[in-house]
Amino acid sequence: MSDIAKVQNAVMPASLLKRFGPWLFLAIGLMVLPLIFSSNLSVYTMNLMGIFIIFALSYNMLLGQSGMLSFGHAVYFGLGGFMSVHFMNYIEAEIFVVPIVIVPVFGGLIGLVFAVIVGSFSTRRSGTVFAMISLGIAELIAASSLIFVAFFGGEEGVSGDRTMGPEVLGMDFAQDIEVYSLIAFWAFVTIALMYLFSRTPMGRMANAVRDNPERIEFIGYSQRKVRFISFCASGFFAGIAGGLFAINFEIVTEENLNALTSGVVLLMAYIGGVGFFVGPIVGAVVFTLLQTLLSNYTEIWQMYVGVIFVLTVMYAPQGLTGLVAMHIPAFKMKRLGTLAAPYVRAGVPTLLLLSGIVGFLETIHHVRSAAVGETTMSLLTIEFDTHSATPWIIIAILVVVGGYLTKTQMPQLKEAWEGANAPMGSDEGGAS
Amino acid sequence: MSSAIKLDDLRKSFGPTEIIRGVNLDIKKGERHAIIGPNGAGKSTLFHLISGRYNLSGGHVSLNGEEISNLPPYEIYRKGLSRSFQVTNIFPILSVFENVRCSLMWSEEYKYSFWHLVDRERKLNDRTAEVLEEIGLTSRQHVPAGVLTYAEQRALEIGLAAAGGADVILLDEPTAGMSHSETDQAIELIRQITVGKTLVMVEHDMGVVFDLADRISVLVYGEIIATDTPENIRNNKAVQEAYLGAEAEHA
Repeated sequence: MSDIAKVQNAVMPASLLKRFGPWLFLAIGLMVLPLIFSSNLSVYTMNLMGIFIIFALSYNMLLGQSGMLSFGHAVYFGLGGFMSVHFMNYIEAEIFVVPIVIVPVFGGLIGLVFAVIVGSFSTRRSGTVFAMISLGIAELIAASSLIFVAFFGGEEGVSGDRTMGPEVLGMDFAQDIEVYSLIAFWAFVTIALMYLFSRTPMGRMANAVRDNPERIEFIGYSQRKVRFISFCASGFFAGIAGGLFAINFEIVTEENLNALTSGVVLLMAYIGGVGFFVGPIVGAVVFTLLQTLLSNYTEIWQMYVGVIFVLTVMYAPQGLTGLVAMHIPAFKMKRLGTLAAPYVRAGVPTLLLLSGIVGFLETIHHVRSAAVGETTMSLLTIEFDTHSATPWIIIAILVVVGGYLTKTQMPQLKEAWEGANAPMGSDEGGAS
Repeated sequence: MSSAIKLDDLRKSFGPTEIIRGVNLDIKKGERHAIIGPNGAGKSTLFHLISGRYNLSGGHVSLNGEEISNLPPYEIYRKGLSRSFQVTNIFPILSVFENVRCSLMWSEEYKYSFWHLVDRERKLNDRTAEVLEEIGLTSRQHVPAGVLTYAEQRALEIGLAAAGGADVILLDEPTAGMSHSETDQAIELIRQITVGKTLVMVEHDMGVVFDLADRISVLVYGEIIATDTPENIRNNKAVQEAYLGAEAEHA
C-alpha cells in the first residue's frame, strides 16, 4: 500500500509538470523576454512576433489541423484590424468606452462573423475548390476595401489612437513596452485556447477530416460541418491578431487584408511546420526575425525568405519544427552525439557554398542597383570593389569548392544518420 | 417480420450503364447475411447505396422500417448503420488510439463539442481501450494508423465500423488479402463484435461465408438471383450456373 502511495506521489508532480510545465515556461518566457531584450527595436520585433504567432496559429487551425489550404486568411486578420481601429476611434470619441485591452475581442468577433458568412459556402469542399474560393474571396474583399472608403479608409487606411481608453493597471499604452504586455497577455490566452481547442472532440475530428474526410461521414460526422466550425474558430483568432495589429501600429490599411499578407501567413506556418502545434510559432518567430533584422542588412531579404520557403517545401516539408523532431528518436536512443561530427563535416562546406551564393546575389544586386560610379560595397563589414576581379574569383571559389565538398560529404552524413536511427540491436537490449 | 434492412427495387446507373438493376432484399434483425457474386456484380456498389455513399437512381432503402434513401452517410450512421470498406479507409496520420476514439465520439454524444477535453473524458477513453483490446491492437495504440501492417489495418477498419455500437453492420470484404490464420482471427473478431447485431457482409472467401452467414444472397450483374440458407444456395442450380460458372471462367 505504502509503496503504491509513494509511487503515486512521485508520479503526480511529474505529470503535473508535464501538463503545466510548457505553459509555465511560456508565461515566464513572455515576462522575462522584455527584460533581456529591452531595446526599442527588440520590443518592436517582439510585438510583431506576438501578433504573427497568433495569426499563424489561427492559420494552422485550417492548414495543419483540418487540411484546408487557404489563400485568403488575411481577410479575417485585416477585417479584425479595421474593426478594432474603428473601436479605438469610438473610444476616442467617447461613443463606446471600453479599456483598450478588450478591443481585440471585437476584432475577433468581426473575424468570426465573416468566417461564418464565407465558411457557410466555402467549406462545402476541401482541397482545390476551397483554396480557389478562399483566393476569390480574398481578392473580392481586397478590392472592396478600396471601394467602401467609409469603413476601409481607401488607400491611406484608417488610423486611430490607442492611448485614449481608460487606463488598465496604470498603463495608457503610449509606450511600446506597455503594448508588449497587452500582446503577451493575448498571445498567452489565445495560444492556450487554440491548443485546448485541438484537444476537444471538435479538434480531434478536425484532424480526422484532414486525414480522411470521407471516412468521418461513416462514423457520424459531417465533414462540412467540422470544416465549418474549424474555419469559424480560425477566423475568430485571426481577427484577434488583427485587433492587436491595429493597437500596435495604430493604422490598418488594405495591405493588411490582401493576398500578400495571406501569402505571408502561409509562409510562416509552412516554414515553421504545419504538422506540429508549435510549428507556426517557430515560423512566426523566424519570419519576423528575418523581416526585421535581415532587412537591416540586405535589401533582398524577401528573396532569402522565398528561397527558404522553397527549400522547406522541397527538402523539409515538415518545416523547421520537423527538422528538430526528426532528431528525437536518435536522442532517445542516446545517439545524437554520433551525428555531431558528420554534421560539422557536411555543415562547413555547406556554409561555404551558401556564403558564396549569398555573396554572388548581394554583389550582383549592388552592381545592378547602386548609383552609377559607386563600385565599393560592404558585405559583413568587408569592403570591396564590385568592378574588380578579386571578389568574383573569391565567390566562384566559395561556390565551387563549397559545392563540391558538400556533395562529397553528404553520403557520410546519410550513413551516420541511418546508423543513428537504426533500431536498437539485441545486444543493446529493448526491441522497441 | 421486423427487418433491419429492406431494399425495394433498388437501382443505380453510372451514365447509361445500369449497375444495380432492381434489387429487392429483406434482411431480418439479428441475421448474419452474406452477399456473394462474381467480380463486377455490383456488390460494393450495393453497399455504397445502402450506406449513403452513392445516391440512388431509383428505389428505396429502409433501415429498421425507416426510409433512409439518399440521406447523407452521417445521418444513416446516426440511425444505427455502420460500415467498413473494401479498400482500407482509416485515418493514417492519427494514432490507432485516436482512430478508435474518433469512431466512438458520436455514439458517446460529444457531437461537435469544443468544451470537452478528450483526455479528461474517462468513459470515452476506457471505451476506446476496450475496443482496442477487442480488435487486438492495444500494443499498437500509439503508432500512426498508416504504419500498421495490412492485417492490423483490416482489424482497425472493422473496429472503426463496430465501435460506435451501431446495430446494423456492413462489412465489405473484411478478409480480403488475408492469410489463413489472419482470416480465422478476423472471423472470430467478426463473430464477437456482431453478437446481437445484424451483419451484412460482402465476401469472396466461401469458407468465411458458409462459416458465418445465416442466409446468403447471390448478386449477378446487378440482380439478386437467389436468397437462401447456405445449404440451399450450395444446391441451387441457377446459382451454380450463373455464379460458380462465372467464377470458374474467371479462375
